Amino acid sequence: MNFDFSEKEKTFLAQVSNTMATFSKAQDLESGDLSMIRNHLTDSLAVLAPLDYLKIGLLKEGAPLSGTLALMAAMEQLSGIAPSIFLSVEMSTRLFGRILRLQEPTDDRLKIVEKLASGEVIGAVALSESAMNVENDPLATVGIREGGRIAVSGAKSYVVNGPIADWFAVVGRLDDQTAVYLIEKEAPGLTLTERIETMGYDGLAICGLGLDSVMVPENHIIGPIETSRCLDLLKLWENQILIAAALGMMKSSFEAARDYAKTHRSGGKPVIAYQEVGFKLSEMLTLYQTSQLYAYRAAWMADEDPKEAGVLTLCAKVFCTEAAESVAGKALQILSGEGYRSGGAAERAYRCAKFGQIAGISTEIARVRIGDAALGRR
Amino acid sequence: MDFAFTREQLMFKKEVLRFAKKEIVPRVQEHDLKEAFDFESFRKMGDFGLLGLHFPTEYGGEGADVVTTVLAGEALGEAGVDGGLTLAYGAHTFLCADTLFRNGTEAQRKRYIPKLASGEWIGCMGLSEPDAGSDVASMTTTAEKRGDSYVLNGTKMWITNGPIADVAVVYAKTNLELAHAGISAFIVEKGTPGFSPGPPLIKMGVRTSQTSELVFKDCEVPAENLLGKEGEGFLYAMQTVEWDRSALLAPFVGVTTYMLKKCADYAKGRVQFGRPIGAFQAIKHKLADMRIFGEAARTLVYRIAWCKDQGRPLNHLEAAIAKLFIGDWSLAVTNDAVTLHGGYGYTHEFDVERIFRDTRLAPIGGGTSEIQKMIISKLI
Ligand SMILES: Cc1cc2nc3c(=O)[nH]c(=O)nc-3n(C[C@H](O)[C@H](O)[C@H](O)COP(=O)(O)OP(=O)(O)OC[C@H]3O[C@@H](n4cnc5c(N)ncnc54)[C@H](O)[C@@H]3O)c2cc1C
Ligand SMILES: Cc1cc2nc3c(=O)[nH]c(=O)nc-3n(C[C@H](O)[C@H](O)[C@H](O)COP(=O)(O)OP(=O)(O)OC[C@H]3O[C@@H](n4cnc5c(N)ncnc54)[C@H](O)[C@@H]3O)c2cc1C
Repeated sequence: MNFDFSEKEKTFLAQVSNTMATFSKAQDLESGDLSMIRNHLTDSLAVLAPLDYLKIGLLKEGAPLSGTLALMAAMEQLSGIAPSIFLSVEMSTRLFGRILRLQEPTDDRLKIVEKLASGEVIGAVALSESAMNVENDPLATVGIREGGRIAVSGAKSYVVNGPIADWFAVVGRLDDQTAVYLIEKEAPGLTLTERIETMGYDGLAICGLGLDSVMVPENHIIGPIETSRCLDLLKLWENQILIAAALGMMKSSFEAARDYAKTHRSGGKPVIAYQEVGFKLSEMLTLYQTSQLYAYRAAWMADEDPKEAGVLTLCAKVFCTEAAESVAGKALQILSGEGYRSGGAAERAYRCAKFGQIAGISTEIARVRIGDAALGRR
Repeated sequence: MDFAFTREQLMFKKEVLRFAKKEIVPRVQEHDLKEAFDFESFRKMGDFGLLGLHFPTEYGGEGADVVTTVLAGEALGEAGVDGGLTLAYGAHTFLCADTLFRNGTEAQRKRYIPKLASGEWIGCMGLSEPDAGSDVASMTTTAEKRGDSYVLNGTKMWITNGPIADVAVVYAKTNLELAHAGISAFIVEKGTPGFSPGPPLIKMGVRTSQTSELVFKDCEVPAENLLGKEGEGFLYAMQTVEWDRSALLAPFVGVTTYMLKKCADYAKGRVQFGRPIGAFQAIKHKLADMRIFGEAARTLVYRIAWCKDQGRPLNHLEAAIAKLFIGDWSLAVTNDAVTLHGGYGYTHEFDVERIFRDTRLAPIGGGTSEIQKMIISKLI
């Protein structure tokens, strides 16, 4: 047992945090049109690549840290600074990137991984569909073998990075199993919908995809893989990202509320001196620290005992994402009028927080699965 | 970072589980209903080595590290041992014996620790008073130096093991002018003239633990019964917080695992609307929340234990967070466990009813949730 990070880990984590804090101070990374969003992302990748941040979990060679726990802690640093950039970077690097590494990756795929790790390309993962929750319905996106290639047709909704991605990992059916089709942005038959506006994550580019007999060569197909194994793995990785996102939201909104409560005076004293405020901060910090340990332990378990990690990650995901909404809401309350103005950390976190409970595996389905595990059903 | 227990630690946990299931759990319900202390189980815990687990072997202990000690507490809860017995164990081993061990002279250690580690003697700790609970420094029990003795006057309240204790660590003011710095600690043995415990209080939960007042009326103890130094009593009381936030919280973690299993078994067997109730999502939701709580609580408790093993001073912020979280969050899940059992859950027949009552102490005993929030908000 050991509850400390190593000196090397601590140094790296501080480096990521400081570098990105300095970088993000110079500009507003949390809004803009598509071209601004693309620039923010490519600029951020250019800042993160030299730190080798993008290599963690993707490449053994040159990665500054190893293991899912260290990855979680590294992601937490970035998510605490810029939520949209964080999600964008991670959906590309850690979700799209890790999919590329599945099942004996071809040289082609490894080349894309190298480019992801150096921040030269942007990836997106297209899984959800209109009857989106893959829990209930089989995927409607299907590949049909035609000669040496596969014709993929279907429609995908809510694809993070969709409007700015160079590559898409499109998840669909193949031979009654599940496969991931690697599709380039200019592929004939691929269309993007308008950018989708959302409640939070203003600096994120999201759209839907249409696929009309998009021809995919064999070497750009990952799988077919047994469906539940494939989806469980993808959702595990996505949930890990969402957990780190929740930690970041809690950090930024807690710190904003704490600093305000210590400096803003009312009735002749800083508002933290009132139990209604001070106790809220205590509850927030309790949720934040408990979430942090939860996240680390679930990440550790992913390497230690992958079977056990599935349910534990769901537990962590439910806890952390619900805690994030609670902490952001309390922070907003403490910051009061100041907090309600657009652009503050708490207001932003409050709007972003809900996403964590919806995406990946929704908290409802997660609870059903955790309950099933308790009943010995999974 | 690494959350793994050693093989030996896990093996020991299994042994404690096996021991508790066989030797203690069969008598839990009977003692809870009778509000009776289970002397037999307590002595067996002594024989097994649990009561003195962390003390050095030369004092009758097992020399275990803190994480192992906390694992044993978790195992007791997980086996289904009631909160009354685990509280009695906590008050005896950590609040009383450990305070004696840490701050006592060699003669005091030799006199008390082996007897307490074996369970031959039972110990208690008297800090709270009728009018000084959260605000400990306002205590009014006094200890006046008279020649080679101290004379104690006052009343302690809510003292776990009070009616059955052979020895008590008692906090009293040696200087009424001072707040915390005026508090000193004393050892008072059963039968000392002027010292009498009150009758056991009738409680909602943790009923097998015996709780009472300790009344001191011109109770004269020899000066060598002063524990440590005059004026340092509050420090000693605070030292127990490390145990309070790890070993005393560990049974709550364990009992959550136990409760989850009981609830899952019930949900599989109970049929309504033609299906086992476990098939309903609302029931799975409750099971999920139990697991989610239990896993969160576990990590908080072991963080404190591990830091103590490293010889680090207690991090008061982390300790208060663990206490606050477990105290407040345990209520909803134990409540859910009762609801999940429907009307049966409301009867003494089912463990969940007792667990619900026992757990209600979590946000009160050892410093209320509000006090934890006060501590955290000061340290933020
Ligand atoms: C901003 C944003 C970005 C996204 N990015 C991506 C992306 O990059 N790639 C991608 O593939 N997807 C993405 N998604 C999709 C996301 O994963 C889905 O929204 C999510 O899986 C939930 O599906 P849904 O919205 O269809 O809800 P539904 O499945 O329709 O669910 C509606 C409600 O019913 C509940 N429910 C559904 N089924 C059950 C059940 N069996 N038991 C109990 N309750 C149930 C749900 O929990 C929810 O509360 C994104 C979504 C958003 C909003
Ligand atoms: C079963 C049981 C066993 C116990 N065992 C022992 C033992 O072995 N030894 C021992 O010394 N003590 C023991 N205690 C005492 C326990 O530690 C106290 O009950 C506890 O510290 C609370 O004190 P109190 O009951 O006097 O409540 P009070 O301090 O009177 O508090 C009443 C309420 O007011 C709140 N409150 C108090 N001050 C503030 C404030 N400043 N701001 C906001 N809210 C506040 C509290 O949180 C609580 O909700 C035991 C108690 C019980 C019930």
